[in-house]
Amino acid sequence: MTKELFQGLSRRDYMRQSAAAAIAALTGAAPNLLAQASKPKATADSVILLWMAGGMAQTETFDPKTYTPYENNLESNRVLSTFPSIATSVDGIRFSQGLEELAQVMDRGALIRSHRVGDLGFILHSRHQYHWHTGYEPPQAVAVPHMGAWVAKLLGQKNPDMPPFLVIGQNMEIGAESDPLKSFHTSGFLGTEWGPFLITDPRDAIASVQPPAKMSGGRFQRRYEAYRELAAASPMAREGSSFQRESLLRSMENANRLLQSPASKAFDLTLEPKGSYDAYNTGRFGLGCLLARRLVESGARFVEITSEYIPFRHWDSHENGHERAAGMKAQIDRPVARLIRDLERSGHLDRTIVILASEFGRDMMTEGKPGREVQNQVKQPDRITSPQHYGMHRHFTEAGSVLLFGGGVKRGYLHGQTADERPCSIVKDPVTIEDLHATVYSALGIPPDAGVEVEKRPVYVTKDGKGNPVRALLA
Amino acid sequence: MSIIRISIALLLPCLASAQKVDFLKEVQPIFTARCIACHSSGKPQAGLRIHTRNDLLRGGQNGPAIVAGHAADSLLIQKVTGQRGLRMPPSGPPLTPQEITLLRAWIDQGAVWDGALETGPPLAALAPRRPPVPAGTAVNPIDRFIDSYLAANKLPTAQPVADSLFARRAWLDITGLPPTLQELESFRRNTAANKRTVLVDQLLARRRPYAEHWISFWNDLLRNDEGVIYHGERKSITAWLLAALENNTPYDELVRALLNPAPKSGAEGFLTGMTWRGVVSASQNPPMQAAQNSAQVFLGVNLKCAACHDSFVNRWKLRDTYGLAAMFSEEPLELVRCDVKTGQMAEARFPFPDLNIAFDSTPGATMESRRRAAASWFTHPDNGRFARTIVNRYWKALLGRGLVEPADDMDVPPWNRDLLDWLASDFADHHYDLQHLLRQIITSRAYQMPAAPDSAEKAYLFRGPTLRRLTAEQFEDTISAVTGDWRINSPRTETYATYTREWRLKSDPLSRALGRPIRDQVYTERATEATTFQALELTNGPQLSQRLERASRAMLGQLPPSPENLYDSKLMRSGKSEVDIDITGVRELHLLIQDVDSYDPARVIAFWANAQLIGPNGATPVTAAPVLNIADKGYTRFRAQATIDDKSRASDISPAVRFFIFKEKPDPDRLIRIAKPANGQQSHPLDDAARKSPATLAQTLYLQLLQREATPKETTIAARILTAGASTTQPAGLEDLLWSILLTPEFQFIH
Repeated sequence: MTKELFQGLSRRDYMRQSAAAAIAALTGAAPNLLAQASKPKATADSVILLWMAGGMAQTETFDPKTYTPYENNLESNRVLSTFPSIATSVDGIRFSQGLEELAQVMDRGALIRSHRVGDLGFILHSRHQYHWHTGYEPPQAVAVPHMGAWVAKLLGQKNPDMPPFLVIGQNMEIGAESDPLKSFHTSGFLGTEWGPFLITDPRDAIASVQPPAKMSGGRFQRRYEAYRELAAASPMAREGSSFQRESLLRSMENANRLLQSPASKAFDLTLEPKGSYDAYNTGRFGLGCLLARRLVESGARFVEITSEYIPFRHWDSHENGHERAAGMKAQIDRPVARLIRDLERSGHLDRTIVILASEFGRDMMTEGKPGREVQNQVKQPDRITSPQHYGMHRHFTEAGSVLLFGGGVKRGYLHGQTADERPCSIVKDPVTIEDLHATVYSALGIPPDAGVEVEKRPVYVTKDGKGNPVRALLA
Repeated sequence: MSIIRISIALLLPCLASAQKVDFLKEVQPIFTARCIACHSSGKPQAGLRIHTRNDLLRGGQNGPAIVAGHAADSLLIQKVTGQRGLRMPPSGPPLTPQEITLLRAWIDQGAVWDGALETGPPLAALAPRRPPVPAGTAVNPIDRFIDSYLAANKLPTAQPVADSLFARRAWLDITGLPPTLQELESFRRNTAANKRTVLVDQLLARRRPYAEHWISFWNDLLRNDEGVIYHGERKSITAWLLAALENNTPYDELVRALLNPAPKSGAEGFLTGMTWRGVVSASQNPPMQAAQNSAQVFLGVNLKCAACHDSFVNRWKLRDTYGLAAMFSEEPLELVRCDVKTGQMAEARFPFPDLNIAFDSTPGATMESRRRAAASWFTHPDNGRFARTIVNRYWKALLGRGLVEPADDMDVPPWNRDLLDWLASDFADHHYDLQHLLRQIITSRAYQMPAAPDSAEKAYLFRGPTLRRLTAEQFEDTISAVTGDWRINSPRTETYATYTREWRLKSDPLSRALGRPIRDQVYTERATEATTFQALELTNGPQLSQRLERASRAMLGQLPPSPENLYDSKLMRSGKSEVDIDITGVRELHLLIQDVDSYDPARVIAFWANAQLIGPNGATPVTAAPVLNIADKGYTRFRAQATIDDKSRASDISPAVRFFIFKEKPDPDRLIRIAKPANGQQSHPLDDAARKSPATLAQTLYLQLLQREATPKETTIAARILTAGASTTQPAGLEDLLWSILLTPEFQFIH
């Protein structure tokens, strides 16, 4: 360890880096950080990602178009939105009906209506989700990490007793797409230290930081003490590398400390005042927002709450789209608005970026990108003869909406625009995944070409290090 | 500053600024000769790498190395001229004025980077080499090489480890399981001089356990997994691979079967690779995956960069990767550089020109002929790299660190070239016999040396094996073997579940935390670091704690046998299934509907329709409650229809349920009948002595888990844990002791 490296680092950082370097030397597993010449000035130090899994229809949420009410024999091609629009707290920005609470906090954040995701051909949700979360299209020759793992790795733990990267709300066994899901819910080549810590149901979160079921706190503590005694008594305790042995003992100590720490209280939703709990409680997603708030307030770096991807469920509506969109809006509207207000009240919004995004938008007619044929996955009749057909059932990758709040993001700002006529393509300021990520990384003080060396080649936080922050989005 | 520039420009008028500097011919040679040694991958000096233009623009700890268009403001120029800090390069003569002028002009002209920097060590020779075995007394030739190496490096020779430790290593490395008490005892009592060699042969002869251990190593390398679906192609090679290992198929034959698989051989999956629905980057289509994977796994060549563009970090070019990919492609391949088509077509050829295998390269030739040629080329006796790569991987797997590191870059000089070459040639001379290779290494004294301590040396010196972390599979299988509580594989569509070793199950949160990879990519090395995240999973994760809780009760004979079902509908997605079962003498009926993985379980409408109890007085309709009390009513049959209502057939519900009937309260984890256990998989409650005496039980566990006796101090602590304040062993105490030993460094590492 050279002297230069020690300068400017706290003792904790130094210890951590020493440990990482020693592990790298021994196992070759932990990748080296690439040198960075200059870092952008950080305006945020944590992230909450509200993931609208399954493809959120932008014209039914944050980019409403002309409303065409349901009637029998309605021509499909005429329908752009199935809800009327409502005013928000920002002049000139209107939302779709059903988002009244969120409309009231629009003045705290920025709305991107021109998010353009990748063109991956025949649509597969999990593949687009992989692309969005990692910045890289699958398959990849190396295991690329989830954005949250990058943030955790590059910024480190804010609170040593709080896992830096957590994902709330996603069951990993969902049938045929389970494996693709697992393949991006990973820290990949960064190593398992960087998560993700998975919590399927926020109501069970407390179980993940408590002694195992059926084990009392007293027994749990006695077990750990006995473990330490046995480990110390082993005559093999002096054979071979002390480093590996010690790093194992230290990891156990960290886990034990975390489970007893004040930070672990953040996982316990029963400690939340009833009024607040009820206000968030629109179901699992709403309570996920509450949990995310508590975790970030206790020092988590990156928390993702997902509305959960399960084929054909939640936002992934292949039929009855109008009704389904109304249901999804009812799930997200109140808790997300409450989250913003609560973070603002506690002062955390200044340093926390909240992102609401989805793998793509939806449309009634266009599958994929306009003008580029991919296989349609939903039969939409020319004329709508049943409410079943009234909704945005096709997967639209040309344009989607993204909300950003806090952490240095401009307030009350609208970025980009889509056409008012089908195919409702982006007409102004497209924002790619790379550039959106670069904007978020930048706000966190991470340059878009920060990265690590994997198998001797550089891999960056944004694809090829080429993301460009959208300055206009930052205050 | 400007004075120097002018003076040099005056000295060298021939280099007018208008004259375009040729990066490849003029600048790159300077970098290669004078800079790259320190500013390369790994730990570049001052954090500065110079593989790409971006590297220079980004710079290192002291800021950007160049400012394109402004040589005078560029740190690189300031350093090579000695204007700022230590003059570069710090050793050898300074750069010549001509060289500096070239660099200046190049930067002033915008630092155009039109080529690749060939870095890294030069290519290792392809041909095999048969160095003579050094003179000496050691029986195993490996030890002759090691003895002469240790002597040359003035390193001490160490005594082989004790029997118990050798037993632990050999059993875990060959079968992935610990020895039973009897096996350990008989090995330790044996006084024959050659007993270690005999043991190795005996363990290698246990082909099933051997195959079930090594299959994980091969699954990682060959990116094979079971039951993994990617909405595209991904073909399992499990059945073929398991058989190949059990039959000890020679390595060259195995690779030929993978690279030129016969139709329906079961080995097609390696070339198929992994495809996803939709459009996939040209660098990742199946032939390109095949090229990258085969080069990496079998030859220690990294073509991953060169799948998109000419590599910046090694000598490989885009056309090299495409050349190999064309061997595995039905269609002609067009070179695509960074997702842009080049218009050039790939020419099928091998990456090392020293060895060539003729194949039909005319346009109409079949892929089969190219694949056959590729299979011969990889496995050709003159391709020494083929054998060197795998023997190095085995050395690393068994001793913790390769003769070459990283094991995926076989161009890096080995720390003992003669040993590597000899081991590779010996392997080839023994018909690529993988068991011979294992035997050769495990019977060596080098393998039997004590674990090497930490060392401060900069360059690696061999002082013995390094500590190796138990794999997720070894960890889980050891728990199974010692407690008798094997894991259960419950296929959704089968009548019977089976006891199984860990490798056969899908990865889960615990095994992933312990380093089992999601095999989207080739894995030649597992993450073995101890992380907080992993410790959390081990400390309070439900999987391990539930398992130990159950196993402890079973070992103490306090776990009643799980009842078997009377009826099992197997997986149902729609419709009805007729139920008509004998219930003579049954006192209670437990009717269960288990959700398997419906998309929206809450909306599935599943029920027992037309339930009837048939008795002496004919049929009696009943409402299908979860528990029906039918004691002493004389009923003989239960009839019903296990039904999924048609209303559940919506795409967003997608029902997947299974109906069961039991005659007593079932164990929710054991609803499916379990097939008769295989040999060695019976649960084995503790014997009386161990059950009665906590001290005896402690000894038993130490022998089973650590292959040694507990010290008196350990026995005292262990007995205290076992009794947990009572006078006899408590299930919770046993659970806690198992947990404590399983997580000690001594158990977690193979010393």
